[in-house]
Amino acid sequence: MKKYILNSLFAAVVLFAASCKPEIETPAGTTAGQANFSKYIAVGNSLTAGFADGGLYLEGQKVAYPNLLAAQMATVGGGAFTSPFFADAQANGSGYLTLSALVNGSPTLANVTTNLAYRDATHLAKYTGEVQNLGIPGMRVDLAFAAPYSAANMYMERLLSDTQVGTTTYFQFIQGRNHSFFSLWLGNNDALGWATNGGVTTDATNVLTDKATFSMLYSNLINALTAGGQKGVVGTIPDVTAVPYFNTVTVGALLAAAKAINPAAVAVFIQTGTGVRAATGEDLIRLPFQTAGLFGTGTIPYGLDPRNPIANNWVLDKDEIIRVKDYVNSYNSTIKSLANSKGLAVADTYTYLNMVKAGIAIQGININSAFITGGAFSLDGIHLTPRGNAVIANVFIDAINSKYNSTIPSIDITKYRGVKFPDK
Amino acid sequence: MRKLLLALLFSAPLWVLGQGFQVNLQGQKQIGMAGAGSALALDEASVFFNPGAVTFLEKNSISAGVNPLLFKSAFKQNGSNITENVKNKIAPPFEAYAVWGPKSNKWKLGFGVYTPFGGLVDWGNDWSGRYALTSLNLKAIYFQPTLSVKITDRIGIGAGFVYNHGDVNLQRALPVNYPDGRSGHATLEGTGSGYGWNAGLYINTLSNITFAVVHKSKVITKLDGGSATFDVPESLRSSFPAGNTFNAELPLPSTTTLGIGIPLSKSTTLAFDASWVQWRVYEELAFDYAVNTPALADTKSARNYRDGSSFKLGVDHKASEKVSLRAGVGYAFSPVQDGYVTPEAPDANRYILSAGVGYAPTSRFEVNASFFFEDVQSRKQKNIETGLDGTFKTLVYAPGLSLTYKW
Repeated sequence: MKKYILNSLFAAVVLFAASCKPEIETPAGTTAGQANFSKYIAVGNSLTAGFADGGLYLEGQKVAYPNLLAAQMATVGGGAFTSPFFADAQANGSGYLTLSALVNGSPTLANVTTNLAYRDATHLAKYTGEVQNLGIPGMRVDLAFAAPYSAANMYMERLLSDTQVGTTTYFQFIQGRNHSFFSLWLGNNDALGWATNGGVTTDATNVLTDKATFSMLYSNLINALTAGGQKGVVGTIPDVTAVPYFNTVTVGALLAAAKAINPAAVAVFIQTGTGVRAATGEDLIRLPFQTAGLFGTGTIPYGLDPRNPIANNWVLDKDEIIRVKDYVNSYNSTIKSLANSKGLAVADTYTYLNMVKAGIAIQGININSAFITGGAFSLDGIHLTPRGNAVIANVFIDAINSKYNSTIPSIDITKYRGVKFPDK
Repeated sequence: MRKLLLALLFSAPLWVLGQGFQVNLQGQKQIGMAGAGSALALDEASVFFNPGAVTFLEKNSISAGVNPLLFKSAFKQNGSNITENVKNKIAPPFEAYAVWGPKSNKWKLGFGVYTPFGGLVDWGNDWSGRYALTSLNLKAIYFQPTLSVKITDRIGIGAGFVYNHGDVNLQRALPVNYPDGRSGHATLEGTGSGYGWNAGLYINTLSNITFAVVHKSKVITKLDGGSATFDVPESLRSSFPAGNTFNAELPLPSTTTLGIGIPLSKSTTLAFDASWVQWRVYEELAFDYAVNTPALADTKSARNYRDGSSFKLGVDHKASEKVSLRAGVGYAFSPVQDGYVTPEAPDANRYILSAGVGYAPTSRFEVNASFFFEDVQSRKQKNIETGLDGTFKTLVYAPGLSLTYKW
């Protein structure tokens, strides 16, 4: 009998304990602070649109940083957030790159060519209906004011009516949307377009935008977006050399590979704006060069002889790097000072991505800017993986919360993937 | 020439010990007194608490007990609005003791089997810290033959040899994704062994106030040839070879305890224990894989523990010939410094509260029950190695029961 009582006590105690969960107090409740997130619009380029792996497709669109941000804003009074998603039957959108194999650590990339969203060779299926994610891949601060670009850019053309195409500028397109809050992360392509063409200008998409022009046009954008006194967040422009696109194919690796075949190879030769010279570790080679099939080919081996150097557009040489860094710094001081004058939050992605370049550990994941294995950058070496988008969205959240005393909850980045590895 | 070396993706999975892995459940009577009792010759559990007191036990006895333990931990990521909890899993710390010696002789033999260290934490495969840890099941079982000798009528010394059988199963998610988006997974499983000793001095003064000095040595437990299983996409298999093994060392620290027992009346005794746990031996943890690849290197991780300590006060009251009541309070200082707190042992300073009851229907038979509660204080931390950033809060519940036969 006594034992029975003890056993019952024992069982009761275990049941009691099982229901007593520890509590963690949250210092403040959830609040929008001084901001109003009821209608949020996102202005920007490919990073805002959710472009990844060299293309725009549904999976990427769904994890674009503004979409992740909007989902978190919902807990502090945020409303619905609409995006120009591709239809499920056309989920692969423009097509994109996948990792099809790793052979001795060397990646093979393949193009996805099914379920695309093209209505003809160069145009995507139109999207009608209201959109709040206004990100247009390729958009630049200067081209935001050029009406013909709305016809030339297939991602923008897709969102416009026939009468707007070629007559409406992006600057006009983003206005009149009755927003209460905005994000503006634009200007990357004003420097990156030039850099990803090796510092060579051939058309309007690879011009290095004049500093004063940038300042004037960015000011116009900010003024339009804050015309009704709205609050918002702006993003700084990352250092273009912080991305794997410029740090994967190195001069040292090329030379080592050449020496393995021909021990007599002495240097890698490049064409620069000021002539032909031997490349050093300070010169950056573009990522696609590794699959271009040029290096070492020809009777005068390409890139290994001063008479047949690597072409200028493949290389961002050290003088061009100095130049583009100077422009990015100038753009960023413009962005920060305009934001400060309007009382806007600043998400300093420039500083943050430089930290990622050195490598950071977040929630048990080591993230860095290494191609494929770094986890933050997708297979095009420039745009973000879902995990990278979640990390950047948290940078925006931190900036908004600290500026407006809001408590938008942070995103659990472990819910988002890095690069997908083939399981074969 | 187009070869891209896979950069170092992961730091190897590691385990960390802390106060959280120190299981303060080695004798039902002492548990009821918050773990105090090294200066009391209470029962056969003195084999653990103070081998020097064993020879002062009046009877030969054998006992066994179990303390189903619920380690309830919660985590809230910094800035998040979601609290995550460990799954309800019951760890089974147990203890068994035997004490024998010829009556009215100066010596007694003892034997103890108990679980001074262990941990059972299962955060699940979907929580926000899964890349630091998904689950850990660690058991250390000590076997301790002991000899205790009376030097005088009032002073006893005793010592035991300790053999440890250790078992570990540690799992975490790996931040590599399959084509369907799910993560890789690492499982480390192994058994090991180690040796040490436990010695104590027991002094009963003329005023019947008793004193104890006890030292339990460190036990370096070596795990050789544990299995390291990595579930990764096949394209990464060469970086994480199948059938890999690992060696590691699990340093279980030494403890020095000073105890006092004060008889308040004929039926009531107060016990106080101060323990100093020399966790500083735990400076780093080296982890050695049989097969290394560029993505899977051996690691040495800084742990930089400082020493821990605890203070426990308990009272034992004989309510009647057959019934005893016990209660205790305690406080323990964590050895884990800021920046080193992990989900394996979300350690912090803790309060201890306990209660116990004993019932002896005959002079030969005894039942003891206890309830042990620990409130591990909330601790906001960013781990230096993993970057896991958030607040941990833990409560520990352990009801227990033991049976004793005496002759």
